[in-house]
Amino acid sequence: MKPKVAFFDFASCEGCQLALLNCEDELLDILACVELVEFREAISERAVRYDIAFVEGSIHREQDLERLRDIRSRSKVLVALGACACNGNVQARSNFVAPAENYKSVYGEEERNRVQTDPDYWPLWSHTRVRAVHEVVEVDFFLRGCPMVPAEFLHLVKSLLTGRTPYFPANAVCVECKKNDNECVYDRGLACFGPIAYGGCDAVCINGGHVCDACRGLLPYANVEAHRRMLVARGVDPDGVRNRYRLHLSNDPLAQEARR
Amino acid sequence: MNAFLASPAQVGGWLHVLARTTALLWPQPKGSRNFSFLPLAQGAPVSLDRYRPTVVPPSRHLLPADETLFTYRCEPTGEVRYQPPEAPPRQILAGVRPCDLKGIAQLDAVMADAPADPLYGARRAATAIIGVDCLAPCDSRCFCAATGSLAFRGGADLFLTPLADGVLVEVTSDRGAELLAGAGFAPCGNAAALREQAEADRPVPFGRALAASPAELPAVLRAGYRSPVYGRHGERCFSCGTCNLVCPTCYCFEVRDDLALDGAGGRRSRTWDACMIPAFAEVAGGHNFRPQVGERQRHRLKRKFEYLPDRFGTGPFCVGCGRCGRQCAADIDILVMINEIVAEQGGAA
Repeated sequence: MKPKVAFFDFASCEGCQLALLNCEDELLDILACVELVEFREAISERAVRYDIAFVEGSIHREQDLERLRDIRSRSKVLVALGACACNGNVQARSNFVAPAENYKSVYGEEERNRVQTDPDYWPLWSHTRVRAVHEVVEVDFFLRGCPMVPAEFLHLVKSLLTGRTPYFPANAVCVECKKNDNECVYDRGLACFGPIAYGGCDAVCINGGHVCDACRGLLPYANVEAHRRMLVARGVDPDGVRNRYRLHLSNDPLAQEARR
Repeated sequence: MNAFLASPAQVGGWLHVLARTTALLWPQPKGSRNFSFLPLAQGAPVSLDRYRPTVVPPSRHLLPADETLFTYRCEPTGEVRYQPPEAPPRQILAGVRPCDLKGIAQLDAVMADAPADPLYGARRAATAIIGVDCLAPCDSRCFCAATGSLAFRGGADLFLTPLADGVLVEVTSDRGAELLAGAGFAPCGNAAALREQAEADRPVPFGRALAASPAELPAVLRAGYRSPVYGRHGERCFSCGTCNLVCPTCYCFEVRDDLALDGAGGRRSRTWDACMIPAFAEVAGGHNFRPQVGERQRHRLKRKFEYLPDRFGTGPFCVGCGRCGRQCAADIDILVMINEIVAEQGGAA
């Protein structure tokens, strides 16, 4: 029997599911090996149990918690798909402001008061705190990045289909910069999160002339204090350091001091 | 062997002729201030001026970042078929300076040691090397003279020395002579004297100095095994592995399998690894025998100045190119660490 595979999305741009469609060459071969039972953008069929559930997006509301726990309870393997699911991504930045303040600045005071008090609105707007998937349920594998990396997706699926443990080395982005023979971002006089961020992206942003902002999250051994001090020593003002740390790392426990 | 004299323009023209038929890598600007061994494109300028050492050393072109070891397929009969990788293409590494020649020579020693690495051997055999002499330190990180690399010529098929009024081209192997066939350079009868004269004008001291000679360092590092220097510099280390990956004599790799979807075949490959990365020393069961960054720094330094020199007897495995410190975002410099340990141990033995 083919393994049942499902995709679910929470708060996200669904860009990771789009990135998945970029696996054109191998996608059809993979689809031949699995039974795709839930994929909002393509099919409406539902299943009772999933062998592999891919969860995209961050978790915000009470009803999201319930839905996510339900998915988990019906899934053998649960994969956090993309930066929103893995670390809360940019939307976790809203965690620094009380939800009521956020509503007010976006929708105005009157609407804010309604969504906070009207029972008809409350379930939809009961925003508590932006969370990564693993803060709510157990996650078996993380496909990091904004968006996720198609090659890592293929590696994960192939590994699971062939009964092997997928391997995602906990290496800094610097490793991939060297493999690409890149000039160090610091040599360009810019600040970079590559030394403390999860690689696996092939340093794609730096290859393209940009810098790394750690969308894939901080390495478990990230030397955050040294990094923060280095940025300041290289002339980034403290506000700038904090802002950079709040871009993708607002919910990362290792960045707690640096983004304060 | 033979020697010739040519103008810089003649040398450039000749290299461009070589590049038409063989992949020829020449150090060229990359980014705002760095250099890289890049294929010499048609019409690209060829400069014999000193250059900031490339981000990745030329020896990495003998150890590709992603190298197929073999592909395999399990037939329905149960027989497993292995397919070796294609023979490596011929390449010319040109513009290689003495420190990087030394780095390649050290890799040659390691890879030829039994069991020899056949893939490295094949790639090395398909690689011609054109060396270029260094007459001034590349920048403030250089300490090649202190490690004994500045005078190194081994492994080069041809060796170029920029002179005040031209370029001295010395043939140092049969392959070098073949590369030079048809170049039409003027024969030179006093090559050794010309090179010595050019080298006599080098600044003294040439680059930074080690506080103890490479021969003394194994004993110093043994005595300073518990030196606080490692941990002190480790405090600002990111364990990113850059120092390893830009080192001309680092060669560690890890092996991975990429399976076909049906699980019956796949590709086994190797990719660069680095002993500064925490997972490098992680073994089955999750135990890590170098969990602290200071332990990893110590291992790195001892590999360069103690373990491998003791093992191979070919001198220090630090060639003094300065890349590890130059490319380190945290400015952790191997020479500074070594000199601090020497001072701590009361100077040279």
